[in-house]
Amino acid sequence: MTELERKLKAKIPGEDTGIEIHRTMCDICSPGMHCGINAYVKDGKVIKIEGMDGHPVNEGRLCTKGLSNRQYIYREDRILTPLKRVGKRGEGKFEPISWEEAFAEIAKNLNAAKEKYGAESVAFYSGYSKWYRQTLRRFAYAFGSPNFGCESSTCYISAFMAWKLAAGEQGGGDMGNSDLFLGWAYNPFYSSYMGAHRAMLLKEAGLKFIIVDTRRTPASEKLADLFLQPRPGTDGALAHAIANVLIQNGWIDKPYIDKYVYGFEEYAAYVKGFNESNIESLTGVPYDLVVKAAEMIHESKAMSTNECSAPIPHHKNGLQNYRSIMALAAITGNFDRKGGQLLSPHTFMHTSCGFASREEEYLYEIKPKGCKDPVGAPRFPLWNYLEGEMQAVDLSRQILEGTPYPVKAVYALGMNARMFPNSGKMFRALEELDFFVDTDLFLTDSAKYADIVLPACSSFERGEFKPYRDGLAWYTTPAIAPLGQSKSDVDILTELARYMDLPDEGIQAGYEAFIQKYILDDLGVKVNDLKGVDLPVKIAEVHVHKDFEELEKGLKTPTGKYELKSKVIEDHPEWGLDALPTYVEPLDGADPEKYPMTLTSGGRLPNAIHSRLHKVPNNRSLRPDPMVDMSHADAQALGVADGDPVVISTPRGELTVKAHVTHIMPAGMLNLFQGYSEADVNSLMDDEHVDPYSGFPAYNSTRCAVRKKD
Amino acid sequence: MKKYLFFDPEKCSACGACQLACMDQNDVDASTGAQPFRFTFTQEGRGGDLHFYSVSCMHCADAPCVMGCPSGCLTKSEEGFTLYDTTRCIGCHSCAMACPYGIPSFGPDGKMVKCDACYERQKAGLVPACVKVCPTGALTLLTETELKERQQARQRSRSQTMLKEFAV
Repeated sequence: MTELERKLKAKIPGEDTGIEIHRTMCDICSPGMHCGINAYVKDGKVIKIEGMDGHPVNEGRLCTKGLSNRQYIYREDRILTPLKRVGKRGEGKFEPISWEEAFAEIAKNLNAAKEKYGAESVAFYSGYSKWYRQTLRRFAYAFGSPNFGCESSTCYISAFMAWKLAAGEQGGGDMGNSDLFLGWAYNPFYSSYMGAHRAMLLKEAGLKFIIVDTRRTPASEKLADLFLQPRPGTDGALAHAIANVLIQNGWIDKPYIDKYVYGFEEYAAYVKGFNESNIESLTGVPYDLVVKAAEMIHESKAMSTNECSAPIPHHKNGLQNYRSIMALAAITGNFDRKGGQLLSPHTFMHTSCGFASREEEYLYEIKPKGCKDPVGAPRFPLWNYLEGEMQAVDLSRQILEGTPYPVKAVYALGMNARMFPNSGKMFRALEELDFFVDTDLFLTDSAKYADIVLPACSSFERGEFKPYRDGLAWYTTPAIAPLGQSKSDVDILTELARYMDLPDEGIQAGYEAFIQKYILDDLGVKVNDLKGVDLPVKIAEVHVHKDFEELEKGLKTPTGKYELKSKVIEDHPEWGLDALPTYVEPLDGADPEKYPMTLTSGGRLPNAIHSRLHKVPNNRSLRPDPMVDMSHADAQALGVADGDPVVISTPRGELTVKAHVTHIMPAGMLNLFQGYSEADVNSLMDDEHVDPYSGFPAYNSTRCAVRKKD
Repeated sequence: MKKYLFFDPEKCSACGACQLACMDQNDVDASTGAQPFRFTFTQEGRGGDLHFYSVSCMHCADAPCVMGCPSGCLTKSEEGFTLYDTTRCIGCHSCAMACPYGIPSFGPDGKMVKCDACYERQKAGLVPACVKVCPTGALTLLTETELKERQQARQRSRSQTMLKEFAV
C-alpha cells in the first residue's frame, strides 16, 4: 500500500486524503446531553465519527448510543420522500408523493376534522427526538387544539411534577460539592456516560456513595459504599424508613425545617409507620442497612441526590415515591445548600441553561382559551393542573372510546406506539383514526399506520440552536446535505403552517425567528453569531448559587416553603390524591398465585435507547436477541439454562424470548428491555396500571408469570 | 519509544463504546457477519462477582502470531505494536491458531484482519479510535514512563489501603 492508501484506509483527515472534519451534534438521546461530534466527511458522506474535543458535554468522548450515528443516518430504510399509504394500515405499502401533495393532503384532512368535530379532535404528538417540540406545540395551539402531547407523558415529567409540588421548580444535585451522594436508580455507565466519568473521579477524591437499585449495575459494583436493593416500586417505603431513623435519632436540621419546610409534623408522624417491624417485608431491604444509610447521611456534611426521572416514576406509586426520596434532602437541610439539592430551572427544551429565557411565552402565549381540556385531563387532574398538556397515556382510550370528546386525527413526529402500556391498544387506536400523519427518518412500525409519512432528516443534516449549562450555546451547521428530500422537523412544521396559513405570525416566522426573538434578543446575541462557531460559546452569565437564597426569597410553591405536604393537592380534595407522600404497594391486581413474578422493562442497555437503535446493525450486535434477565435461582427453579427460550405472560398476553441468566437480578424479578418489534414487552403491560398522580405507566412493576418454552 | 494500549478493568463497565468506535474506524459492519476487532463483555463469577472487560489484540511482546505466520505478514513495530501487511497472506489461519487469545479474524477475501492499535492514526498524532471514545478512561495509550508511573501510583494506593485496614 502507498502512504496515501494507508492514510485513506485509516481515515486521516487532510488535503491529501480529501477527508474533512465537520462539526455537528448527536441527537440520539435527550437534550440534557447532545454531545459534540466530529464527523469525518469525504465526498459529502460521513465515513467516521468521534467525540469533539473541548465540547462542554463530552470533552472528546462518545457513548455507545452516540456511536450509532453513522449507521443510523445511512440505514437502508431511510425514507427519502414524502409517502402516501396505498395499502392497509400497518401493512407498509406506500407510494412516493411530492411535498406539495403531502401538504395539500394534510391541510385538507386536518381542516376537515376541525370543521366536523372541532380543533380539539386533532392531537399533535411528539416522540423522539425532542428538539422541535416548541415549534410543534406552537403549531398545535395556532391550529386551535389544546392537544399537544409527547413521549414525556411517560418520561421525566413525573419527576418535574414532584419538584414543582415540593419546591416550585426543577432542581438537581450539586454533586461536585458533596461528601455523600445518594444515587437512587443511578447507573450513569449505561445512561449518561460523562456522569460515570465524573462520579469515578469524585469517588477517587473521597465522595461516598449510597446506591439504591433493584438490580446490580456497574454503579453498584464500582461506586457504592453502601448498596440497597429494594424490590421494584418500594422506593417510597424505603425512603420513609430512612427518614424515620433520621427523625427518631434527631439527625435532622430542626431550625431549617421550622423556617423553610411545610408539613413536617404530619410527615414525621406518617413515616413512623415504616420501621424495624415492617421494612424488610415491605421492601426486601434489611433494617440494619436502612440504619446504616441513615448513619451515613447523618455523618455527611452535604448530601446530594440523584432521583432518576424514568425508573422511579414508572410505578403506580411513582410520583409519591419520588417525593419521598426528595424529602430526605429537605429534612436534613440539604435543599438550597451548597453540595445539596439546588434549583436549576429549565429555560430551553428542558435544559438548565443557567440563564432566563422567554421560552414559556413562545410556548403558551397563543394557547387556546375557553376550549376543551386536553386528553387525559379528567383521568389525571394533577397532571392537567401542573402541565396543562395532553397526557398521551390516555390517548388510545380516548380515540377508541370517543369520550369525553372524539379524537379523529393525529399529527405526529416520531410516534412509537410500542412506547405505551398495552401497546396493542395504541395500534388499534391508530387504525381507528380518520387521519394520521407521522414524521420520521424510517418507516417504523407506527409510521406504517400513517396515511402520510413525512421524511425528517437527522441532526447531522440540519442546523439548530442548542444551549448547554453554564450559559453556553451554539447553532449547528449541517455536516452533510439532507438525504433525499428529507427536511429538518422545524422546517416541515413551518412550511406546513405557512401552507395552511395558520393565524399566528410566531409560527409562520419560523424557527430562527423564534430563537432570535424569544431566546437571544434579551441577551444581545444574534443567531448568525452562533452559526459556524467551532464550539459552544458563552452567551450569558449564569446565576451563581447562594445558600438559602431561594428559600429566603420564597419558593414558587403556594406556601413559599419546601412542601413535604403539598398545598396544591391539599387544596383539591376532589382529586382524591394525598397531600403527603403516602406509600401504597406497587403491584397490579393480577392473581399473585398465577402471576408470581415481577416484570420490569426499565433497565437500560448501554447500546440502545427505547426502540431507536434496535435496527442499527453494530449497536444491535452487542446484544442481538431480545433477552429476559433472570436470576440463577429462578432459572434453576424453571430448569432453564442461559439462552433457553422462556415464555413470559401477563393477563394481556405472552412473549417468547431467550433467558439471560445473570447475577445482576434478584430472585422473583424479570427484566426485558423495551421496543423490540418481535418481542414488545409493553404489549404485556396494563394501560390501567398507571400512576393516578402523573399518569405514568407502571413499566417497572407488573405481575407476570414465566415458564420454560415447551 | 515503547507504547502501550492500556486497559484498566476497574474503570470499565463493558458499555461497548470502544467496540463500536473500532467497528466505525475499521468499517466493520455487523450486518455482513464481519467480526469486530475488539470485544466488550461482562463476566460473572460463580460467587456472583461481576467483571467488565474490553479485549482486542494484546500486542504481545513476544507475539506467537508473528512467529506463526509462514508468509511473514506480521511484524512488531518499534513501539511494540503487532502490525500486519496481508499482501502475501495465504489465509492459512496459522496466526489464529498461534494466538492464545483467538484474536485474528478473516475478511471476505480470506485474509487476516485484527487491531493494529490504529497505527496510522498514531502516526498522524491521533489516539486509537477506542481510546478516543472511552467514556471512563479505561482504555488509554501510554508511554513506558506513563505506564510505570501509573503502576507505581497504584501500588502506593494499594499499600495505603492495606495500612488503613491493618490500623483498624
